[in-house]
Amino acid sequence: MIKLQNVNKYFYKDEPREVHALRDINLTIEDGEFSLFSGPSGCGKTTLLNAIGALDSVDSGQIFLDDREITTLGEEERTSLRLKEMGFIFQAYNLVPVLSVEENIGFIMKLQGFSDAQIKKRVLELASILEIDKLLRSLPNSLSGGQQQRVAVARAVAGKPKIILADEPTANLDSMNSKKLMDMMKELNEKEGISILFASHDELIRDSVKRVIKMNDGALV
Amino acid sequence: MYSLIIKMAWKNSFSRLSRTLLLITMIAVSMSMMIGMQGLYDGMANNMLDKNKRSASGDISIFATEYRVEQDIKYRIKNAHAIKEDLESLAGVKAVVLRLKADGLAATARKSSFASLHGIDLDSEEKFGKFSEFLKEGAINFDNRGALIGLELAKTLKLRIGSKLIFSTQDVNGDINSLSLRINAILQTTNISLDSNAIFIDRKKVHKFLGVKDGEVTQIAIMGEDEMLANTLKDKYAEYDVKSFLELQPMMKMMQDMMFIFNSVTFLIVMSVVFVGILGVMYVSILDRIREFGIVLGIGMHYKYIRLQIFLEAIFVSLSGYLSGALLGVILLVYLRDYGIDLSAFSDALEMWGYESVIHGTIKLSYFTTTFAAIITASILSVLIPLRKIKKINPIEVIKAQK
Repeated sequence: MIKLQNVNKYFYKDEPREVHALRDINLTIEDGEFSLFSGPSGCGKTTLLNAIGALDSVDSGQIFLDDREITTLGEEERTSLRLKEMGFIFQAYNLVPVLSVEENIGFIMKLQGFSDAQIKKRVLELASILEIDKLLRSLPNSLSGGQQQRVAVARAVAGKPKIILADEPTANLDSMNSKKLMDMMKELNEKEGISILFASHDELIRDSVKRVIKMNDGALV
Repeated sequence: MYSLIIKMAWKNSFSRLSRTLLLITMIAVSMSMMIGMQGLYDGMANNMLDKNKRSASGDISIFATEYRVEQDIKYRIKNAHAIKEDLESLAGVKAVVLRLKADGLAATARKSSFASLHGIDLDSEEKFGKFSEFLKEGAINFDNRGALIGLELAKTLKLRIGSKLIFSTQDVNGDINSLSLRINAILQTTNISLDSNAIFIDRKKVHKFLGVKDGEVTQIAIMGEDEMLANTLKDKYAEYDVKSFLELQPMMKMMQDMMFIFNSVTFLIVMSVVFVGILGVMYVSILDRIREFGIVLGIGMHYKYIRLQIFLEAIFVSLSGYLSGALLGVILLVYLRDYGIDLSAFSDALEMWGYESVIHGTIKLSYFTTTFAAIITASILSVLIPLRKIKKINPIEVIKAQK
């Protein structure tokens, strides 16, 4: 479970161009949720997602992951937390270009210290669900956008994180690939029980998720 | 974990092949040229040292006290045969020769010059320093009042093979005696002093000419491998003047030091170029992938693994450059050792300074070990600045930048 209490975040604090990016956010996200932060551009969706993902700090308030406060963690601890508890999916896929699809999927598991046999088994399992099992030896550059995003999803899911944070995952995909990706992520959410939080204004995602958290001007509405 | 880091480093090292090949070529060519120059410098110095040892001082020489200052045959080693036998029984001693030398005047019908008469045993000198290799013209023997003469002295006195000359000096009793000699061979040792002044004849004849007993000589020269041998002999023959090669030839020591400085300066220049090359390529390579590093930091890869990856990338490229450079260097050194560089056009000047006109290189393991250490150090140092850049990456900024 993720709990946010009175979370505030400013950009350019104490400067004339100060922006109050997150305003007194109080929110609870239960295990296994399939939710979306929705709202217009600049409303704070990505900032909130980054704060939950321990990628970014907040100026006040607290964020708890299973009763563990993450806002006070140092850089190294935050990196470890991201590695063990979080999965990330980005708009631009961001796969490691010199590694094959198989190695990219197993990348996080390798960093987590899983054995090669465990990684292999998990990679095959996810590749089958995401229908990329025939591409395991390919390099990312030889794949289409949709295929690359499915590899990114597999990489995020592989280490069995508590939560996956997906920022505009369908922004670079056509509607058919977007639909396919959302169906697969829904399946993973149901099968693996992993919470998945999206930040997007894609209607397809809004129609697929179980909960929509609306934002405007950095506040929940 | 580490296998993944090594794999990523290896693949990234060669992912931009043309850039990497350019760097490898730069390291290889710089390194092989540097090794070639070191080999040549050392070859020149070693050749000069070797010939001086073989023709004159050996590794160690023993003289009667005051002989080297006075250069007078009254300062002689009296029991030379016993000392020679004793020396030959010592571990580390390879060869020993006895020499009797007297300074005097060499004259032909038209010319005269200062000269030194060296009484030597040809067989012993051959074992001691391959004496026959100094032959420039004629045949090495002492038949028919035969003498061997230094090249420069032969030029000064305008002597050829078969020419006659008279050598005059004071004998042991102070009487002036003369010796008629015929030139059987002209020698070139590249030892400036010998080439300009020396006349070699059979030692027994010099003993008779100077009235010196058979067991008395002015110099005992020793070839030995043991670096501590000089100190041992200094203790053992404290009543004599025992000198090591470098004590006898301070100019050689200076030349060795000079070559070391040349080599060090060359080494520093080449390594600086290599350092800047690796730094430039690694810096550009890292800047190209700043987004990739930001992302992997964001998804949970610790900085220490990225640092290791970057170090490995630099080492892989440098090592490839080193191995190519070592291979080229070996080929170059073997060629220089076997065929040398022919500088006959400058032979007069070179020979005047004691160098041969064909310069041969030497091969030393230290060229490769020192370069290895320097290249690896340069590669590690060269990524420190790019690594500072990565350490400052904020994953959020990278992720924002790509949107």
